[in-house]
Amino acid sequence: MDLTFSEEDEAYRAELRQWLSDNIGGGGGGGGESANAMMKRAESSDESKNDPLAGARAWPRTLHDAGYVGLAWPKAYGGQDASFTQQVICADEMARVRTPPLINTIGLSIIGPTLVQHGTEEQKKRFLPRILRADDLWCQGFSEPEAGSDLASLRCRAEIDGDEFVVNGQKVWTSLAPISDWIFMLVRTDPDAPKREGISYLLADMKTPGITVRPLRNAAGGSHFSEVFFDNVRVPREHLVGELNGGWQIARSSLDHERSGLSGVVALEETLGRLWRMASNLDRGDHKAVEEPSTRRALAQHWIEIEGLRHLGFRTLSNQIAGKPPGAGSSVGKLFASETRNQLTRTALRVEGPLAPIAKRSPHVVDRGRWHAAYFDALAHSIGGGTSEVMRNVIAEKVLELPRPAED
Amino acid sequence: MDFNLSEEQETLQEMACDFIRERWPADCAREALDKRPAVIGADVWQEILEMGWLGVAAGEDVGGIGGDVLTAAVLSQEAGRGLLPGPFQSSLIAALAVDRSGNDAIRSELVPQLIDGSLRATVAIEEPGGRYGPDAIAAKVRADADGWRLTGSKLLVPDADSAALLIVGAQTPDGLGWVRVRADAQGVEIRKMERMDAQSCSEVVFENAPVEGDALLGDERSLREAYDIWTVLLAADLLGSAEASLELTRRYAIERVQFGRPIGTFQAVSHRLANHLVDVEIGRSLLYGACLALDEKRDNAAPLVSAAKAWLSDAAVAAAESALQIHGGVGFTWEYDVHLHMRRSRCNAAILGDADYHRDRVADYMDESWVPPVKA
Repeated sequence: MDLTFSEEDEAYRAELRQWLSDNIGGGGGGGGESANAMMKRAESSDESKNDPLAGARAWPRTLHDAGYVGLAWPKAYGGQDASFTQQVICADEMARVRTPPLINTIGLSIIGPTLVQHGTEEQKKRFLPRILRADDLWCQGFSEPEAGSDLASLRCRAEIDGDEFVVNGQKVWTSLAPISDWIFMLVRTDPDAPKREGISYLLADMKTPGITVRPLRNAAGGSHFSEVFFDNVRVPREHLVGELNGGWQIARSSLDHERSGLSGVVALEETLGRLWRMASNLDRGDHKAVEEPSTRRALAQHWIEIEGLRHLGFRTLSNQIAGKPPGAGSSVGKLFASETRNQLTRTALRVEGPLAPIAKRSPHVVDRGRWHAAYFDALAHSIGGGTSEVMRNVIAEKVLELPRPAED
Repeated sequence: MDFNLSEEQETLQEMACDFIRERWPADCAREALDKRPAVIGADVWQEILEMGWLGVAAGEDVGGIGGDVLTAAVLSQEAGRGLLPGPFQSSLIAALAVDRSGNDAIRSELVPQLIDGSLRATVAIEEPGGRYGPDAIAAKVRADADGWRLTGSKLLVPDADSAALLIVGAQTPDGLGWVRVRADAQGVEIRKMERMDAQSCSEVVFENAPVEGDALLGDERSLREAYDIWTVLLAADLLGSAEASLELTRRYAIERVQFGRPIGTFQAVSHRLANHLVDVEIGRSLLYGACLALDEKRDNAAPLVSAAKAWLSDAAVAAAESALQIHGGVGFTWEYDVHLHMRRSRCNAAILGDADYHRDRVADYMDESWVPPVKA
């Protein structure tokens, strides 16, 4: 058992670390905006003007020029053909210095890997380089009003008409839809087949006539996600990914692209550090909040949870490096990470005590109100990308091998 | 980067699991509750000695096989899973405490005897007074004309009734550290106690008891290190017990049919088990991390040990309680094994620092040395 990397990998790390310190410290990152800020700016801009997202595209392009995105992708499509270990080191180092968010993250993490695995040669050549350079931004059209956790019951349908699909229906919870150029989506192409066998995976240009985007305001007040309506939207047949009616398996495999989750640990640890500082500064009469046993134990418990997650990540990573399946790690990691994040922000509001209700920009607000946002954000994480309940179903069936409840 | 058990460790784990299941089936642990205390029988103990279990983590130069703390933890985990009682763990930690005492002469004299079983020893740290850990040690050694003399009281000393040598944490003229006292020495009174799971332990009262060699066996550093190693072995025992509770319940949830279907299809049951699976996997990860940090003598070894013990203390008890609840009526019967793991995990959760004590140790570390990452 050891946690060290080879000399070659450590050299790669050192080079990357140097590059990051040269390119981030002095504001060289360019696009350090949150998704909400990007959306807001895009919404308020006049479409006829020059690209309002030029700033946000600069950072992924800088990264791409230096060879630090698309690590797992083949060189032929602009990727790096990097080893698995280097991918992990890269994610880890970026997390360590909290690099700005990437506007093309959905493309890089979901549709890109899916196309690498399942796309046609034409699709790979056409889309992958443009994803890497953030020329095309992508959004995901999976969930529907009647198909959330039960995704396979989706109803948005696509009928074949000559060389085209004609798409009708609705998608929901589509992140970044207003600024996206393309959508990858699941559609029902065989209404008579068992529900998982009549689904296809399609790519659609968001500028196609018949697509309407309506941003939804979320519980936290932002508009990170949208509804997307399809009214006789014509999609060329060459934008089908994989086989007709073979979309469900492809979508499932794209959920397996998840990493060991180590990069999420750094973010959690940074948040806990911030919480510790908050508790250290917060007055409770004659002492500070951090001196109270209940606070100390709660924060220590979060430290324990985060270390548990980190070491679980090491196990998952070891399996992946050895070419073995990730094991229980990935579903356990996703569930535990989002639960830990929930608990951590809950603890923050509890530690704030009487100051917890105070909104940002008010007198006496703690940490400029960041814990309110963090709290809502954490709650979203135990829903998006598979609710915690679905994760428990997965663990019950796949890891514990409990019988599946009867269905259909 | 390889954060999994080695092939040798996996093989040892399987062998230990099979051996304990065969030679100490759960019925032995159940019967011992009526015929206390629970102690490994002489023939089984002899086999354990011959397999070299007490020497897995001790140096090769003193008769061990030079393995690491994790290898010892793997055996403790199987002891927990198989409800194996004393004097296994107390003998293992006694050998390790001497092996890592830094006292070369005593080490080369005693460790071979401790490993082959010709000398039975145990370790005494906790005291009455309601506080845990090395910092609560009040037992005191005075140097008088006849040499060093120990006075004080130790609680929950495992297998003291069968030990020839007591390795005792005490305040001495040379500071906090380990001393050796013969169990049959004058001024040593052993008051037998039993745990909820029928394992043997004692209160040991020292009244001007003579200290062997009139000197420290090991200094404060070695005492704290041995405390951490022992704690991590208990965490491993708790992991084994938690896994056993979860596995018993998993099987029952598959077999037991109510309302026309296996109860494992009900989310009230399956989600509860999924949560315990998460707890177990996080606990296993923390345990491996703590063992590795101890072996590599890293700065965060102590908080990682505490993390593993705090987490697994909670996790093992919770898994046992869920096991009882999900088994329903039969889970509350003497014949089912559920209560055996409940008893063992309840005891081990409260020994060598409960979850709150170890959370406090983590908080102290956060206060003093933790450097969280800061956003650029």
